[in-house]
Amino acid sequence: MGHLAEAIADLKEDEVRQLVQRHIADGADPSLLLAECRLGMDIVGQRYRAKEYFLSELIISGQIFKDATKIVEPLLLAQNAPQRSIGVVLGTVKGDIHDLGKDIVGTLLKGSGFEVHDLGVDVPPQKFVDKLVETQAPILALSGLITPAFDSMKQTVEALRDAGLRDNVKVIIGGGIVTRKAMEYVGADAFSDDAAEGVEICRELAGRVI
Amino acid sequence: MIKETMTAEERVRAAIELRPVDRVPVIPLSPIYFACRQKGMSMAEMARDLDRARQANVEVCLEMGKYDGMAYPGLSNAFAPRLSAIIAMPTFLRPGAEIADDLPLQYAERQILGVEDYRLIADMGWRRYAEKHYQKFSPYTPEQIVAWGQRNTDITRKDVDAFKSIGVTCYLGPSIFSPLMFFSIFRTLVQFTLDLHRHPDLVQAAMDAIVDDFIQDGIDAAKEVGLPWIMLVLERGGIFYYPLRIFERFEWPYLKKMAETWIANGFVPLLHFDQDWTDNMPYLKDLPRGKCIVDLDSCTDIFKAKEQLRNHLCIMGDVRATMLSLGTPEEVEEYCRKLIDTVGKDNGFILSSGCMVPLDAKYENVRAMVNTAKTYYPHRS
Repeated sequence: MGHLAEAIADLKEDEVRQLVQRHIADGADPSLLLAECRLGMDIVGQRYRAKEYFLSELIISGQIFKDATKIVEPLLLAQNAPQRSIGVVLGTVKGDIHDLGKDIVGTLLKGSGFEVHDLGVDVPPQKFVDKLVETQAPILALSGLITPAFDSMKQTVEALRDAGLRDNVKVIIGGGIVTRKAMEYVGADAFSDDAAEGVEICRELAGRVI
Repeated sequence: MIKETMTAEERVRAAIELRPVDRVPVIPLSPIYFACRQKGMSMAEMARDLDRARQANVEVCLEMGKYDGMAYPGLSNAFAPRLSAIIAMPTFLRPGAEIADDLPLQYAERQILGVEDYRLIADMGWRRYAEKHYQKFSPYTPEQIVAWGQRNTDITRKDVDAFKSIGVTCYLGPSIFSPLMFFSIFRTLVQFTLDLHRHPDLVQAAMDAIVDDFIQDGIDAAKEVGLPWIMLVLERGGIFYYPLRIFERFEWPYLKKMAETWIANGFVPLLHFDQDWTDNMPYLKDLPRGKCIVDLDSCTDIFKAKEQLRNHLCIMGDVRATMLSLGTPEEVEEYCRKLIDTVGKDNGFILSSGCMVPLDAKYENVRAMVNTAKTYYPHRS
């Protein structure tokens, strides 16, 4: 593990910024820098699973990662570096305006190398379908915090089916209220009420769909 | 039905004080959304026509054979009619106004306070800060804000009277944020978490400066509506979000001070723990025995909590919203029996919904919860 990954894993905000800037000034390959940032995020995830870290550390590391990628990403684009990320279409379903859990999951997914298409909150089913068609993303992550969200999630899965996408898209639902029973009701493939676990499940789902 | 030998009030009081009961009391939390849906009202209609909503709430309570008490008898939170009521003004999106007609009120988190506000609040305290900077929270004039607080209090009084007329006692009207919850809400969770990482001393100084005003707001609001319980709203300080070292510094000292002061003033703090606080539960053993209620929403392990707080504090909860919405009456009854068997053993238990009864709870599921409390009690001596 390099110093950069270590600094991210240890949540050393200033050190990460200085290291990224120094590496860039030294002509480092931006794609390698990004890979090292992601390695740091992987370690954060490991520490979270080992209960050494909590949601707070996921939030802090997510911010550090965001700040670092803000510096690195323009260089990657300038290089025309090929992006081989797996797409996830993410959003809080229609009728629900809560974005907290969704935003945390979105940041962690990005930190794990996914390409996240965040549609925001109160998203109608057709908008999810349109984005899946446009991006060809193999994963749909639906968020909700209130029980009426279950019906919206169910309608979204039905819209996927109607559009002929269901066989090619894995659906995960997330939020404080979701349970196995809710997953079955909605017709999703997976569920989680834990942001880091949700990212792990997306990794597994990605393995199954590509 | 169990042969009852206590009044509902005696039963609830005994549960809080950890004394034997004739059966477990049942108090669903804030059932008005569910009641209005059952009576064919949309959430927008509920918000527009509070008299009809109140009537729906009372009718469903009667149909259920009466709850043992009401925790939030209506839609309104009770406030002391003063400027600090602005705390509740920017937070909710209303059905039929900002959101669709038949959705529940929803909390919209947005950043209202900046980092600089910690210093201002640390220097001024909450009341003086509110007087000077109320416009950050609300576009209304101070007179309008005070009138809004007064209106909510008046509505709560009407709700209390309506339930009193059918012989059901109301316990809970005001709810007060812990300092951590307050800053987390108005800075947003992400910014507040970064603040704890970057400026911990500044955050603590601001918390020190607001806690006494928050305590007094709770006392004044409860006195205003004449209700004996004060809810302390806790969600963001537990183990789900933060390690214990954060809880020990930024949540527990304030939680303890607020609860102890309210108890000393004759009120019952209802500590409303949303999310998982399982590892935080042992700290509560330092609170006075039999004087407050630990209200759990189903994310905290209620069975572990019972082990930790047995014979020390009353626990209330925790039939999960998802179970009330998607489950069957048999599942609800089975879970309630399990709660009564284990958490109800050795006294100190109030059966309730985990957080609010959701608007789309099935009628037969809520009935199953209430009926199980009234028909099943294996611990009677």
